[in-house]
Amino acid sequence: MSVSENHGKLNRRALLLGAIFLAGGAAALTRFARQPSVSADAGPVFSPDQFALLEQVVDTMIPATDTPGALDAGVPAFLRDMLANWGSHESHAQILAVLDSIEMQAWSRFGASFLALPGERRLEVMRNLDADAVGRQDPAYGKFKWLVLVGYYQSEAGATQELHYELVPGAWRACLPLAEVGRASAV
Amino acid sequence: MDFDAIVVGSGISGGWVAKELCERGLKTLVIERGRHVEHRADYQDFATPWEVPNRGLVPEDERARDYPIQSTSYAFNSASKQWWVRDSEHPYSTPSDRPFSWIRGYHLGGRSITWGRQTYRLSDYDFNANLKDGNGIDWPIRYADISPWYDRVERFAGISGSIEGLEQLPDGQFLPPLDLNCLERAFKQQTETDHPTRRVTIGRCAHLTEPTPEHIALGRGPCQLRSTCERGCSYGAYFSSLSGTLPAAKKTGNLTIVTDAIVERLDYDHAKRRVSAVRVIDSKTGEGRSYQARVVFLCASTIGSTQILLQSRSEYFPNGLANRSDALGRYLMDHVVGIGARGTHPGYLDRYYYGRRPTGIYLPRYVNITEQEGDFLRGFTFQGYSWRSSWWRGASEVGMGIELKQRLRNPGKWEMLLIGFAEMLPRADNRVSLLERKDKWGLPLVHIDCTHGENERRLVERANRDAAAMLAAAGFENIQSNGPMKPPGDCVHEMGTARMGRDPATSVLNRYNQAHDVSNLFVTDGSCMTSSGTANPSLTYMALSARAANHAADLLGSGEI
Repeated sequence: MSVSENHGKLNRRALLLGAIFLAGGAAALTRFARQPSVSADAGPVFSPDQFALLEQVVDTMIPATDTPGALDAGVPAFLRDMLANWGSHESHAQILAVLDSIEMQAWSRFGASFLALPGERRLEVMRNLDADAVGRQDPAYGKFKWLVLVGYYQSEAGATQELHYELVPGAWRACLPLAEVGRASAV
Repeated sequence: MDFDAIVVGSGISGGWVAKELCERGLKTLVIERGRHVEHRADYQDFATPWEVPNRGLVPEDERARDYPIQSTSYAFNSASKQWWVRDSEHPYSTPSDRPFSWIRGYHLGGRSITWGRQTYRLSDYDFNANLKDGNGIDWPIRYADISPWYDRVERFAGISGSIEGLEQLPDGQFLPPLDLNCLERAFKQQTETDHPTRRVTIGRCAHLTEPTPEHIALGRGPCQLRSTCERGCSYGAYFSSLSGTLPAAKKTGNLTIVTDAIVERLDYDHAKRRVSAVRVIDSKTGEGRSYQARVVFLCASTIGSTQILLQSRSEYFPNGLANRSDALGRYLMDHVVGIGARGTHPGYLDRYYYGRRPTGIYLPRYVNITEQEGDFLRGFTFQGYSWRSSWWRGASEVGMGIELKQRLRNPGKWEMLLIGFAEMLPRADNRVSLLERKDKWGLPLVHIDCTHGENERRLVERANRDAAAMLAAAGFENIQSNGPMKPPGDCVHEMGTARMGRDPATSVLNRYNQAHDVSNLFVTDGSCMTSSGTANPSLTYMALSARAANHAADLLGSGEI
């Protein structure tokens, strides 16, 4: 019997705790405890809950490793500001629909809110959704993923720490070993 | 007289006319319909990606409402949108089934701020083309007439390029070329081996790779390989009216610039067969005033200058000033784009480049020159470049989490793009005219009716086939056509609506860009073009402008006008 078939009957908190222990006990708890608060301004388009979900989704998509991740780079605030200052109503609806579909995936696969899942399960939810939506060339998901990537790779951390960026290169070296530059150019 | 000379428009043509006239000692007024722009201070070229408004994206609603046509330009973004008109404020009309993209900016310097900076000479293949196949009328000049003027404008503007020794692409006065990258070198070698009369060379461009003392004296410096050119360049490393010609004109003490002044009409004195005054409307107050000078140059862009002449109707010129021939407004051309191909290459994964080169590669025309074809006239060139994709490929590839991050840390496969530029034949029914409907200043709206013909379609078919074949031969995979063909205007090379010619019955301008019927009127922007050739036309506009300005100065000096 899978959790997804029975999630409606189960206590959500019990399921969450079970998932945490399944996922590795203390480490998973630590991970969950790092969840940012939702006191940040969610802006005019996201509800506080949606913004909290967005934070965890982008952290799953682009985690901190030896370089900063999407949270460190301020990607949630970037999406919040882009929807406020750039996006049309259609884009607002598309991005919110993607967040809804992520939450639905979490419930249908693991019987819990995305926020209640441990990191591995969040990644599994996102991997499944990504493979399906990219395969279908889903326009709403494509826009969402594009914005997350812009938010990260065109941030100062993404451009200068994760990738290679020089405001003023000052020279053109037309053909050289990749190792001499090291990383992809951010622009 | 208020001035010796009036120049309408401050873009690439107007800037050159102003510089040459001022340097000849003539008191010159430049009238610009748009706002004043301060070189450097009004550019956003030092903003990093994270400092640019909305990371370069223009708000979707604003884009759809105010810039539906202008935003089709590759150079349109949130740090450059000030260089385009709002379509919502500057409407024009086309037949509903025949779109034309009129892409433009109204400000000091005009499109010399946003131009692609590609600079190629026309050759006698181009100047002879109409005579040879009977489309359009013969050019009244040949390469030898313009060649010294190409030399002059190239030295001043600063053109980077390599000497190739090709008849169809004459060499010029070049600053050192920028190099081809690894894959472009491989493409060049394969293409030139397979097709000994095709050539792959670096794109010639108006960038200072090694500034001369003349450039440095104007405050210009070397190109920094940033490729944020469309925002304006504070180094003055690429040529524009603001970095080059207008500062040089100003140094003479003979230059006056008036901005926010829309030319309404040119008054014509029939007794003297001269323009007697230039009437303008202040774009902010709506008030009218006029200026007088001994000679008037229209450099307001192809459609802009045509519009002014059509608006300047009189008893003597009921179809528009200097339009005895009925050629005014007709023979509109552009270069056909939305053609060519792209592909990805599996190799060279350990090779890369450093810096952002502001030009690409160039394949000069070969069809109907070294390779004869039967089913179409004239030809096409290719521009293109090779690059490795970066993080942006992640949006269309499956991937999440650490794996996504690790993968995008490395550049993607090499890709290559070949963009065809095909010649468009001059046809009388490709036409700019005026409507009864008026804009907010009470001036008639422009109507543009322009289509591609059968010859253009055949050129495109061949260009698409050749591009794909050359890429395949060089080892590229996943080859895709660049199509569909874009509507005319999309290349922003519109030209031809006040053409030069020998016969006043079939052309508007003579061999010095002087109106056949109005002795003190010159037109030196793209409207003067008798055929389109395949070269990006700005360098030719510069050379013709400098040549015409000096001719006018000679005529003023001798009292002939």
